[in-house]
Amino acid sequence: MHTEKPKNSFEPKIIAFVCTWCTYAGADLAGTSRMQYPSNVRVLKFPCTGRIDPVFILKAFQQGADGVLVSGCHPGDCHYIAGNFHARRRFAAFRKLLEFIGVDLNRLQFSWVSAAEGGKWVEVVTDLTERVRSMGPMVEFKELAMEEQWSGTIDTPELKEAYNQI
Amino acid sequence: MSRIGVFICHCGENISRTVDVARVAAEVGKLPGVAFSTDYKYMCSDPGQTLLKKTIQDQKLSHVVVAACSPRMHERTFRKAVEAAGLNPFLCEMANIREHCSWVHENIEEATVKATEIVGMMVERVKKNRVLPTITVPVTKRSLVIGGGIAGIQAALDIADGGHEVILVEREPSIGGHMAQLSETFPTLDCSQCIMTPKMVDVANHPKITLYTYSEIELVEGYIGNFQITIRKKARSVDEDKCTGCGVCMTKCPIKKIPNKFDCNLGMRPAIYVPFPQAVPNTPVIDRDNCTKFKTGKCGLCQKVCGPGAVDYEQEDTLIVEPVGAIVVATGFDLYTIAEKPKGSPIKGYGEFGHGKIPDVIDGMTFERLASASGPTGGKILRPSDGKEPKQIVFIQCIGSRAREKGISYCSKVCCMYTAKHTMLYHHKVHDGQAYVFFMDARTPGKSYDEFWRRSIEEEEAVYIRGMVSRLYQKGKKIVVMGSDIAVGVQVEIEADMVVLATAIQPQAGADTLAQKLGISYDKYNFYSEAHAKLRPVECATAGIYLAGACQGPKDIPDTVSQASAAAAKVMALFSKDKLEREPIVARVKESACVGCFACKKVCAYGAIEEKEIRDRQGNLVKVVAYVNPGVCSGCGTCQATCPSKCVELDGYTDEQIVAMIEAL
Amino acid sequence: MTQPIDESIYTAVTVAIQAEAQRILSEGLVTAVVGYASARRKGSTQPIVITDAALAEKLIFTPACVNNLAVYLTKAKKEIPKTGRIGIVVKGCDLKALVGLMGESQLKREDLYLIGVPCIGVLGSIIQPDTAFTSDSIAPKCRECDAHLPLGCDFVPSQQPITPELEKKYAAEIDRLEAMTPAERWAYWKEQFSKCIKCYACRQVCPFCFCEQCLCDRNKPQMVETTPRPAGNFAWHIVRAMHLTGRCAGCAECERACPMDIPLNLLNRKMAKELKDLYEYEAGFEVNAKGPLTMFTEKDDQSFIK
Repeated sequence: MHTEKPKNSFEPKIIAFVCTWCTYAGADLAGTSRMQYPSNVRVLKFPCTGRIDPVFILKAFQQGADGVLVSGCHPGDCHYIAGNFHARRRFAAFRKLLEFIGVDLNRLQFSWVSAAEGGKWVEVVTDLTERVRSMGPMVEFKELAMEEQWSGTIDTPELKEAYNQI
Repeated sequence: MSRIGVFICHCGENISRTVDVARVAAEVGKLPGVAFSTDYKYMCSDPGQTLLKKTIQDQKLSHVVVAACSPRMHERTFRKAVEAAGLNPFLCEMANIREHCSWVHENIEEATVKATEIVGMMVERVKKNRVLPTITVPVTKRSLVIGGGIAGIQAALDIADGGHEVILVEREPSIGGHMAQLSETFPTLDCSQCIMTPKMVDVANHPKITLYTYSEIELVEGYIGNFQITIRKKARSVDEDKCTGCGVCMTKCPIKKIPNKFDCNLGMRPAIYVPFPQAVPNTPVIDRDNCTKFKTGKCGLCQKVCGPGAVDYEQEDTLIVEPVGAIVVATGFDLYTIAEKPKGSPIKGYGEFGHGKIPDVIDGMTFERLASASGPTGGKILRPSDGKEPKQIVFIQCIGSRAREKGISYCSKVCCMYTAKHTMLYHHKVHDGQAYVFFMDARTPGKSYDEFWRRSIEEEEAVYIRGMVSRLYQKGKKIVVMGSDIAVGVQVEIEADMVVLATAIQPQAGADTLAQKLGISYDKYNFYSEAHAKLRPVECATAGIYLAGACQGPKDIPDTVSQASAAAAKVMALFSKDKLEREPIVARVKESACVGCFACKKVCAYGAIEEKEIRDRQGNLVKVVAYVNPGVCSGCGTCQATCPSKCVELDGYTDEQIVAMIEAL
Repeated sequence: MTQPIDESIYTAVTVAIQAEAQRILSEGLVTAVVGYASARRKGSTQPIVITDAALAEKLIFTPACVNNLAVYLTKAKKEIPKTGRIGIVVKGCDLKALVGLMGESQLKREDLYLIGVPCIGVLGSIIQPDTAFTSDSIAPKCRECDAHLPLGCDFVPSQQPITPELEKKYAAEIDRLEAMTPAERWAYWKEQFSKCIKCYACRQVCPFCFCEQCLCDRNKPQMVETTPRPAGNFAWHIVRAMHLTGRCAGCAECERACPMDIPLNLLNRKMAKELKDLYEYEAGFEVNAKGPLTMFTEKDDQSFIK
């Protein structure tokens, strides 16, 4: 069923932050049902989406992720009553911040995948992988990480002038 | 330096078919900190676990990663094995290379690379794992039951029979609840009071049960195993210890015309009263709003006639504090008062059916009182307006229930059955009468329920009309009921003498306030929410609190009793141990860094976070910090993600562990 | 076109503040008053803590009174006498910070005596403190201020602030950036953040950065790279903006304190705008039991979640 992929084409690195009760179980179900999906995704298990700190997403991008998925229980299904509701607000704000900074939000996916939705897990992961693959690598953070430029460089006329006056 | 052991499972061929397990073992063996790595056919098998235990000891391993199936499958197995080998179980992690890898990928190269990365990630994580000791909390083996209806009575009796003390709190002057009001019960038509009152007496006489009637829950503090309950015992104005229950006060009370709530306001009672003759306790209470002594200061007759001198006008509310380990909430239901539109409620009234305006339009509970042998009419079905026997009676089902446009979408569950019962009771008492029932559909699941319903039609001559009533109005002494029979497709008009509305079951007024005191969740109708709709239907998400009866959702008597006994069993299981053990995945506060902004407390759904004062040796307040009660914390970690300085950390999911995993990728 | 702004009411405001400070100190209502006083350079001001009623005449209010004194009640609280109620001179924007701090259990209303300033604005920069107060030199935050008259104070001088209608620079800048492509925005911020020298002046001056241990200083694990390299700078500014989301009420002290002129408050204002759109929440107007990111409703927007 798999179409042959051309060799040496870009394979994105996708990091998924998921809650253990719904999405992790949903991904397990995809496995038990022997569904197939791209192997790009690496899953990090959390007790609840409420535990997922926006800093982890930032960290994932900085560590070279090309796409990030955050997934948990549907509203009302949270094992911890309301963790996913808090997460929903937190990420609604955080994605707006990333967008404003200049991160293409097509690289950041949020989803609700229940323990019964093995098929949805496959769909979400496949869609994100394919979308990010077509977008190419997330160069922004990688470039930043490569830059050794010391921000104190005196590279403006004003700074040079001020420096000379000291 | 860590000495990590990595065990790669073949899972027969389930993993090894698509993952080159030997290569994964070799690759991860090169990672810093990994002292040992191997692959094995079946790690979860006995020999596999023996291999694990033996290697831990032989290789002096400090941490273990088992790469196999989902941790949801075998994490417990391997943690137990690791514990048996002398390591703390939380120093073992599983890498899921079956459900998340070998089963979902076909390409061996891709799957092997992915498996190596997954294992590598868990190796980095396990390095940061800490020894987590099991948390134990003491258990106070006494239970609180809130609500003295059949649910509360059953739960209290079961727990008390199990040998544990029970505090039973009832808001009304007597226990018994709605079941005491019923005439007969479906599907057997046995007299409700005949089966109810012995249980009420059992409660009163049980050496393990402390009964507080005319009392309410003021404050709930603490957590599972260790609650502190403050109960407000309202002033009864009669000393329970002195009162003999002779009833002279009630017969002498000059105020006699107060509608009795127990009789749905059909009967009258004096200002000093017991709600019904079989009340438990049989101690009267003075209704201070209607008593002349309290209104004008004059009278005082009851005190004069009371032989034992039990009447005490000076009595005040008292607050009682009871320590308990578990709470059963059994606050029951109330009927939807259709005449009034409750203020601020999204639920709209049914003014169009004349309830509250036309005296002979009554609700189901009022009919129960009319049919009850101990009711205001002595069991005769008589019209409230003129006391005449109704010859044509119309029952209308689903009033309020299943009416989304009116604000209630659920089915009240018991109305189909009790209406069938009403038609029978009516037929037994008014032989020449005719009962009509307007219904949407009859819902009769339950043992002998459908047979019972069919009997009402086939033997007791009730006429069931499928369709709703469109209009209802008074015409002289008759009530004209207009509706449609959708089965036949004709309009129906019945001139009835009495109309009985099967009104929706709702939680008791104030159910939300009580839930807030208890820290339990409730739905938009104020029914209390169970922890899991299927698998934990009697537990609340808040540990140590259990539900019984209609406070959780509409229920009939058998279901209520079953749930009450189930809740009692849960309480006794809790009380079977002297200490509670729980997984140590809980949050902890680093007090030196906490600035006390309490963002964590704001997001905690369990109320597990408290404010703690830090004082110096002289006792001066240094600062107020957050404190996580490990008995209450459920380990979701929302607090940690919310804390700006991350000074609250969830054991087992610390930032260090998670960042180590991200950095491993 | 540059137009002068009439700052004459500040003379009367100064007199009123002095009188009130003198009264509350001498009556023992407060143990100290935090306010502004003249500094050495012509036109410049500095924060001052006064504990003696006789020194109340030192207090002034001018367009150079830029500081948000709220910061002295949290981070610098050790500088202020521990016992008793404290008086503090607040502009509308400063009051919003205090309101937020009360909601976060850092301050109690009853411990404060608030002297509100009818404010027509302050200078954008005090590098030249005797700059004329004009439509050019006014701080950008004052151009879109919605709290010229602080509400709920214990004392506010009776002068009415009359303010000219000025173009909203932050709003315009946010609109400009929003219209860009993500790559263009990234380039913009990359240029801005590359200037950052990680002096943490923005953190130091912010009334809401009251953590005793900043997440960004932690090394176990290191969440944010601490060196002033572009990668670390980005992470710091993103984390800073996120942590202030729903809390920052736009006093813009971060931006004023920044020696590298990074438009820091732009991020905070953008987030404030988003929260207003999403949850109709505006920080700083009332003491709320919960902030927008510590509460939720079941009906919150989830159009971004698959």
